[in-house]
Amino acid sequence: MSVNIIKKERNAIINPLKTCQPLGAMYAVTGIRRAVPLVHGSQGCSTFVRYSLSRHFREPSEIAVTSLHEDAAVFGGRRNLVEGLQNVAIRLKPDLIGVITTCSSEIIGDDIVGFIRTAKDELKQKIGEEVTEKIKIVPISTPSFVETHLKGYDNAIKALADHVAEPSEPNEKINIIPGMTNPGDVREIKHILAFMDVNGIILTDISDPFDSPLRPSTTEYKPYYPKGGTTVEEIVDSANSLGTISLTKYAGSGALSLEKKYNVPAELGPIPIGVQNTDQFLRNLKKLTGNDVTDEILDERGLLIDSMADFASRYLHGRTAAIYGDPEITSGIARFVGELGMEPKLVLTGSDNKEFVKDIEKVAKETGAEIDTMVGQDLRAMEVYLKDNPVDLMIGNSDARLMAKEYGIPLIRVGFPVYDRVGYHRRPIVGYNGGIHLIDLITNTILEKYYEHEHWKLQQ
Amino acid sequence: MRILEVLHMEPKIESIIDTFESRKKHMCIKGDDISIPDCNKATLPGTVTQRTCVFGGARIVLMPITDSLHLIHGPIGCASCTWDIRGSKSSRSNLYKKGCSTDMGEKDIIFGGERKLFETIIELNKLYNPGAIFVYATCVSGVIGDDIKAVCKKSEEITGIRIVPVQSEGFQDYNKTKGHWIGCDALLDYVIGTKELEKTTPYDINIVGEFNVAGDLWGIKPLFKEMGVNIISTITGDSYVDEIAQAHGAKLNIVQCQKSSNYLADKMEKKYGIPSIKVNFFGIKQTINSLRDVADFFDDEEMMERTEEIIKSGLNDVEHKIEEYKERLTGKTVALYVGGNKAWSLVRAFEELGMDVIMSGTKNGMKEDYERIKDTVRDGTVIVDDANSNELALLLKKYQPNLLISGAKEKYISLKLGIPFCDFNHDRISAFAGFNGFISFAKEVDASVSSPVFDLTSKKLMEQ
Repeated sequence: MSVNIIKKERNAIINPLKTCQPLGAMYAVTGIRRAVPLVHGSQGCSTFVRYSLSRHFREPSEIAVTSLHEDAAVFGGRRNLVEGLQNVAIRLKPDLIGVITTCSSEIIGDDIVGFIRTAKDELKQKIGEEVTEKIKIVPISTPSFVETHLKGYDNAIKALADHVAEPSEPNEKINIIPGMTNPGDVREIKHILAFMDVNGIILTDISDPFDSPLRPSTTEYKPYYPKGGTTVEEIVDSANSLGTISLTKYAGSGALSLEKKYNVPAELGPIPIGVQNTDQFLRNLKKLTGNDVTDEILDERGLLIDSMADFASRYLHGRTAAIYGDPEITSGIARFVGELGMEPKLVLTGSDNKEFVKDIEKVAKETGAEIDTMVGQDLRAMEVYLKDNPVDLMIGNSDARLMAKEYGIPLIRVGFPVYDRVGYHRRPIVGYNGGIHLIDLITNTILEKYYEHEHWKLQQ
Repeated sequence: MRILEVLHMEPKIESIIDTFESRKKHMCIKGDDISIPDCNKATLPGTVTQRTCVFGGARIVLMPITDSLHLIHGPIGCASCTWDIRGSKSSRSNLYKKGCSTDMGEKDIIFGGERKLFETIIELNKLYNPGAIFVYATCVSGVIGDDIKAVCKKSEEITGIRIVPVQSEGFQDYNKTKGHWIGCDALLDYVIGTKELEKTTPYDINIVGEFNVAGDLWGIKPLFKEMGVNIISTITGDSYVDEIAQAHGAKLNIVQCQKSSNYLADKMEKKYGIPSIKVNFFGIKQTINSLRDVADFFDDEEMMERTEEIIKSGLNDVEHKIEEYKERLTGKTVALYVGGNKAWSLVRAFEELGMDVIMSGTKNGMKEDYERIKDTVRDGTVIVDDANSNELALLLKKYQPNLLISGAKEKYISLKLGIPFCDFNHDRISAFAGFNGFISFAKEVDASVSSPVFDLTSKKLMEQ
């Protein structure tokens, strides 16, 4: 019935469960059509993130960098950014450039807004005022030494709301901030919107850029711009929407900004993982649009409940799980696991967040379970915990794969990064369909590990 | 040959592909007036560079030391994005795979991170009792001026283990080669020579610049054992820090990755008088030459005889096993775009499969690297320096090789163009070095080039 918070007892981070802000911002800008993330920092700041993104999505990840070097640390990064912006603008002709800062550029104290102005002035001389004005240049402040990648994502979406969105005529649309979810999740949200007869603006839509077709004849290659993504026009129009739903309250600043500036009502979280969270998402949609939940959606809900009825008591009830990763996904899965009659024994996130504890307290209340909770922790903490407190199942990213193997605990892969299995970025975990996918995954894993193979035919 | 036709049409260097004016001289065609591209220049700001930072360079050189912890003193991202990213295998400890960070926050930036670093080192030592802790400086610890050397010294006195500062502030240079050198310097200054060799033989060597990616080292080691050579240490693949500490006792250094490790071999020669031989275990001929060179160095009749036996039996095995692959691969073209060393060391290996290297490039090449590439490739080969992602795509589109050899970032660019790809970087799964490695190499290249998948592009649908 309660949450037991296990505090961090170390300075050292050992096997991290978080990364720094710029990654979140690069992810967000990739979801914009014909946009270029321009990282103002060292080459490693873009290159290592590109590695991480490419490993997870198995897609190109095209991120430009201003290549700061020692002289910039001494004299500032003005020349690098001003030149970098012009090179991107002239060479790649993008619709938008997201200028993403890093620890070094933040500490040096570069005047990003001023540098952008200078770059624009110089660009006007070179390519004319009209062409220059067409390219939106958005400053995104992402100091790496503050919070986590989610904050960087949040800052990027907020920057779009603050610098790009413009009020005009009401548009009857709903803005969706998907958080750092996968292409499969965004597609599932779009599917729900279509069934609800709602037009959406996804801020931002990584579904196609991070899962794009191999069609050499149609792919833009000068430069490589992936298919899809939210258009700049849509982002501009987001100021005129009926409302904004952020699937995560950990990245709701953009939604709040649109509410404050343009009276676009905001709903923050919870992420629609599992039955009740998806119900809440649909209630939010209904509240903002007035549209009723359609029969098709109720059928999909019924399919999920049907699967739960088929499997939950037979195979899953009382099974214990350790769930780890980003706060929103982790708390969403904890709640779903509770809905299945399982016990979320340990819930762990890398970011230090009080909201998270509240979420888990809610799950504890609903399930009657004692939940050990760790915030601002790392995978080493989970390793130590599981040694004395074994669980039936681990649910989280690939980074605990060696631990899972060592302890002989099966691992269900969700979240970011998943690099040692394929297809996980493509299949949703949100919405009722995502729930069906998750329950299939969980049940099959339990069957494989804990049931006698020769009796499967009888264990229906 | 398609490339020669293209050449014929476009004799001017300037027109290889459409790019920035300043970048044009970074590409050339061997046989033209200028056969070496401009190189070792700062990356143009605002491009999608395939390069990385100095920290990355140092990190990959030292990471394969398996009994040690690698602690990154910086904000969390520098550790998060680089822990366990090199497929260097271990036969013993797995400590090196841990991702350790001081996770510098705002407070540390304002008040300095030395105290936190010190406490972190003490904690890590208590938890894992590692062979050593390598402490890496990052941009942030550099900008705020943390004295990691002093902290390491103090921690070393308390822990009694080697705490090695690595001065790898990421922004120091545009060329990560500097990071390789910094990694080597850390070994030279704090590890090599700190333990006396327990037992010496006349045939003691170090294998330098072999990182045991996918187990490459394990393809070479048995050959040396059979020859009667005694390996003191490998720097750094599958190594313990104590072994590297004794490296100064060797009679010879053999250098596999010459890009990252010639620097170390040269310094060891100066400091300890250890001569070095450049070796290359990618490809049959190269493997044979390398083995013979080592035997020749020791000038020992029996060893030379044993070496010839090893070569004979190795050849016997390889030649018939690669026949099938060679048949399919002969005449196919390949483009190399790699960190450095492989831009020349793989050329002969591909020739042995009957393939034709039509492009070779590096991200961090120095003038001497391009000299070697020029000397290795045939006339008409495109040589390219520091191609950004856009340029790489244009080059691939123009020359349409049957295969690209590169790393994880380039992989998906190539595949999206419908060009087969084979990983020869950190993510590689199979060992490619030595005789057996060459068989795996042939098999993997064939699996990429001969895959039926690339015949199934959307164009096909429209044609039928």
